[in-house]
Amino acid sequence: MSDTGSESEIEEATEHTALMDGHIAEARPDREIAERIARKRKTKSDNQQSYGSVERTEGGASGAAGTSASNPPPPQPPADAQIEELELKYGARHVIKLFVPVTLCMLVVVATISSINFYSVKDVYLAYTPFHEESPYAVTKVWNALANSMILLSVIALMTVLLIVLYKKRCYKIIHGWLILSSLMLLFLFSYLYIEEALRAYNIPMDYITLVFVMWNFGGMGMIVIHWKGPLRLQQAYLIFIAALMALVFIKYLPEWTTWAVLAVISIWDLIAVLTPKGPLRILVETAQERNEPIFPALIYSSTVMYCLAATTPPPPGEPRARELRPLHPHGRGTADERRAARESGGAGDAAGFDAAWQARAQQQRRLRVDSSQPPRYTTRLERSPAPAQQPALDDEEKGVKLGLGDFIFYSVLVGKASSYGDWNTTLACFVAILIGLCLTLLLLAILKKALPALPISITFGLIFYFATRCVVKPFADALAAEQVFI
Amino acid sequence: MDLTRLPNDKKLQLCRWYFKVGCLLLPFVWAVNAVWFFKEAFMKPPYDEQKQIKKYVVMSATGAAVWVAALAVWVTVFQLQRVAWGPTGDSLSFIVPLGRA
Repeated sequence: MSDTGSESEIEEATEHTALMDGHIAEARPDREIAERIARKRKTKSDNQQSYGSVERTEGGASGAAGTSASNPPPPQPPADAQIEELELKYGARHVIKLFVPVTLCMLVVVATISSINFYSVKDVYLAYTPFHEESPYAVTKVWNALANSMILLSVIALMTVLLIVLYKKRCYKIIHGWLILSSLMLLFLFSYLYIEEALRAYNIPMDYITLVFVMWNFGGMGMIVIHWKGPLRLQQAYLIFIAALMALVFIKYLPEWTTWAVLAVISIWDLIAVLTPKGPLRILVETAQERNEPIFPALIYSSTVMYCLAATTPPPPGEPRARELRPLHPHGRGTADERRAARESGGAGDAAGFDAAWQARAQQQRRLRVDSSQPPRYTTRLERSPAPAQQPALDDEEKGVKLGLGDFIFYSVLVGKASSYGDWNTTLACFVAILIGLCLTLLLLAILKKALPALPISITFGLIFYFATRCVVKPFADALAAEQVFI
Repeated sequence: MDLTRLPNDKKLQLCRWYFKVGCLLLPFVWAVNAVWFFKEAFMKPPYDEQKQIKKYVVMSATGAAVWVAALAVWVTVFQLQRVAWGPTGDSLSFIVPLGRA
């Protein structure tokens, strides 16, 4: 080792700051991020050639420092390493905390799809998808699907912009109105449709009085718990149910190929909206951060209570910054969620093809729907205080992972769609692929520490697994079974 | 919402609010209230507002139980008497189960 101790210390310091910068630095598309990480490592290795392996973990650095006799190992790096390790551990725990709700949501959708015919029969379509893919030719179907998904996407983008404008102008009442309207539609109208079909499928007798009573109770409690205060578990349950309901609406009312095209397009849009410097979601998040505001509770699933607290109670003046920052981030997601929710409500209205008066009303809601389409941008974020070591007491409470409801919806759409063909291998493959994608996203989150789009990795994996299983694995397995070959 | 972080007077306020809202034919809200505040009312070391919270929790629980019983009775009566009630029974029916061959 030719380096003197002081040099190594300096290097460590720069390394440290570089890492910190990394968190703050502007978001870029995943590939670029990966490249950047690689580059960072390279440069580090260049700087620290004498150290041999270029591990950036503090342990390695401190060890190197220790070798230089003159200086005692700087205290910071080990602490830093511990923090990072802690964060990763926290991340791991939260990954599992997110697995449960995502799995539950998918389970609801898959169970519904496989037991209730209504949701896999194609008869009515959303107004956003004017091309119904009725031609027998694949080429026509493909361009139909692409056109449909582009229409949907442009609606989403438009609504996003509208939302940003509203948010920038501080029209919170309008935004909240949208959210409440869309959750009302989901909780009453779509739940009504769901209950009707479920009862019909299971042949359970029901009278109107009981039905109205149950719906009123279910919806009323949902509105209270989502938009006001309520037990966290109940709120999570309602959010999961809402997401599942929305996913079912998409599965039911989007034409076959369009569904797949929409999934692909939406995940790309998610990537762009969250990570580009001028991406709409990014602007939203930044605005929210500037204003230090809590998120709209209706739009985000959070694994811990803190979010609720942050949202419901104005931050005390003396409170540390870390806390204030978090709520802001959620905001960005929240808007996305809202849009989704709006979308859901709007989409459902169109899809259901109700009478003219209803449709006229629905037109207003369409905008909402569009908004909701934005949800795809929901970002998963691990909330952390910037300087966890400084406020350990607060840390525990504040850490948590938030996942936009839109993520839930599109994950479930993919798995539900896969299950609608009745092949359990494909369904399981998609399910596993999405969970792996979620893991990777959360890992990236722990590394990059900023809002990330949760759709791209998961949906890409899901699509690959779906088509691979359906076109390659299944025929192969069938052939093996037919020939009685056991591997 | 995390109850443990709320000051006691807010807890009482929340519990009372839930009870009042439950009066709007929303026994589900009562049930949630009873479960949610059960620990506050019976398991926590005593504090000033606890007595009132206890009162609301008990009232919510009984109210919800009464509603459930009433609903069960109504459903049973309706399903047993639907045919006897003729057209009234039919118009009240949302789903009439199909027979199986």
